[in-house]
Amino acid sequence: MKNGKAVVLVVEDSAIIRMSAVDLVRSAGYEGLEAQDADEAIRILESRSDIDLVFTDVQMPGTMDGIKLSHYIRDRWPPVKLLVASGNAILEESSLPGGSRFFSKPYDDHAITDAMARLLAGGTSDGSAG
Amino acid sequence: MPTTPTVHFEAASTLAVVVSSNEPLLFLSEDLKVIAASASFCRAFEIDPATVPGRRLSELGNGEWAMPKLASLLKATASGSAHIEAYQIDLMRPNQKTRHLVVNARTLDDGDIDHVRLLLAVADVTDARAEARLKDDLIRDKAILLQEVQHRVANSLQIIASVLMQSARRVQSAEARGHLHDAHHRVMSIAALQRQLSTSAGGNVELRAYLTQLCQSLGASMIAAPDRLSIQVTVDDSAVEADVSVSLGLIVTELVINALKHAFPDERMGRIAIDYRSSGNDWTLTVTDNGIGMPTGTDAPKAGLGTGIVEALSRNLQAEIRLSDAAPGAAVTITHVEGAELSADLSTAA
Repeated sequence: MKNGKAVVLVVEDSAIIRMSAVDLVRSAGYEGLEAQDADEAIRILESRSDIDLVFTDVQMPGTMDGIKLSHYIRDRWPPVKLLVASGNAILEESSLPGGSRFFSKPYDDHAITDAMARLLAGGTSDGSAG
Repeated sequence: MPTTPTVHFEAASTLAVVVSSNEPLLFLSEDLKVIAASASFCRAFEIDPATVPGRRLSELGNGEWAMPKLASLLKATASGSAHIEAYQIDLMRPNQKTRHLVVNARTLDDGDIDHVRLLLAVADVTDARAEARLKDDLIRDKAILLQEVQHRVANSLQIIASVLMQSARRVQSAEARGHLHDAHHRVMSIAALQRQLSTSAGGNVELRAYLTQLCQSLGASMIAAPDRLSIQVTVDDSAVEADVSVSLGLIVTELVINALKHAFPDERMGRIAIDYRSSGNDWTLTVTDNGIGMPTGTDAPKAGLGTGIVEALSRNLQAEIRLSDAAPGAAVTITHVEGAELSADLSTAA
């Protein structure tokens, strides 16, 4: 959380999709951060402790794809909520860490902000994210 | 004529059969001397036919047939203690690629029990195996490529959808925002089809799954109060070609958008029903709402882009559009009857 706003990190290699996703996050009232691959995402997660949710693509260049990244985040920063989107219509839900949400691309903006709100509300008993 | 040193003479017909065998074949004595070789054998393994008769198997060519394992199996076959069936060996020759062979051997059963002779059939499966492997590789490559293409299409549609929605969030004019949202719905309609195609084996699209997913997607983005408005989809077991399903999906998209926008003003409760059924090549698509009904005459709004899309696509599907009063609400029925006269014209705005 930063100034009472939940902080969402968008990880996406396509510049236009990333820009729009950050815009969507901000329009939903959250603080939006961006990374173009898993390595950059990890650097950002290491540099600050206020990230509440990571919204990541699956197929990305670099050392990790979005699935590996979600497992890495779950192991290292367990409270961070995870939302995953992929161009593959069918993704083994079981290949993702428990509690994460999956959407196939193209996703619907309302469905994404709705899922973010639910994930963030599930953080603590008083309804606000940790 | 007998120039070979064997004391036993073979029937000319037996030798002729061996020599003319289409499958590479060797006719061997009990001590593994070559009595005759088929022309196909000599051709396949580059052996001069004139050098063959009387020579030991191990002396053929440059000695490449001197394979201890083959010799022992042939001896066991000659003694009656074993059979060679589809035994695999590699033929290695200097400066040539290894050939993969499948050999079969049996004793010749011509009633002459005093003289054991062997028939050795040799099939070169190198090319067939390479071809099979190539085919497997191609099938795998195709699957990977297809997945890659589907992934790219999904990403491209995401870019379009993202840009449209970002523009919609930016523009001040409510009308412009509405148009951008409509464009977004149309893109998502195509995306739902793409998703359906990527999960279906053939080129056909199962309409029930597709239209259900499409309406869920439309409802999720357009219906703010799901307990007030609902979309119900009833489709038979029809599966149609991808081209046809694109048109049907876009028609449903336009009609559902139209109903959601106009049929339920003032927080009115309501339901939109999509029904598709077919019989042979004939089909009927009906979109019904229980809203306020369509205004007619001078109250009728000017036909919009949605109407144009529905008319054009129906015409393309050789289907007829009919508007009716569903009391309450309105019904749009699109019917395709094989060979029927057409009048695809939606006079009231959709």
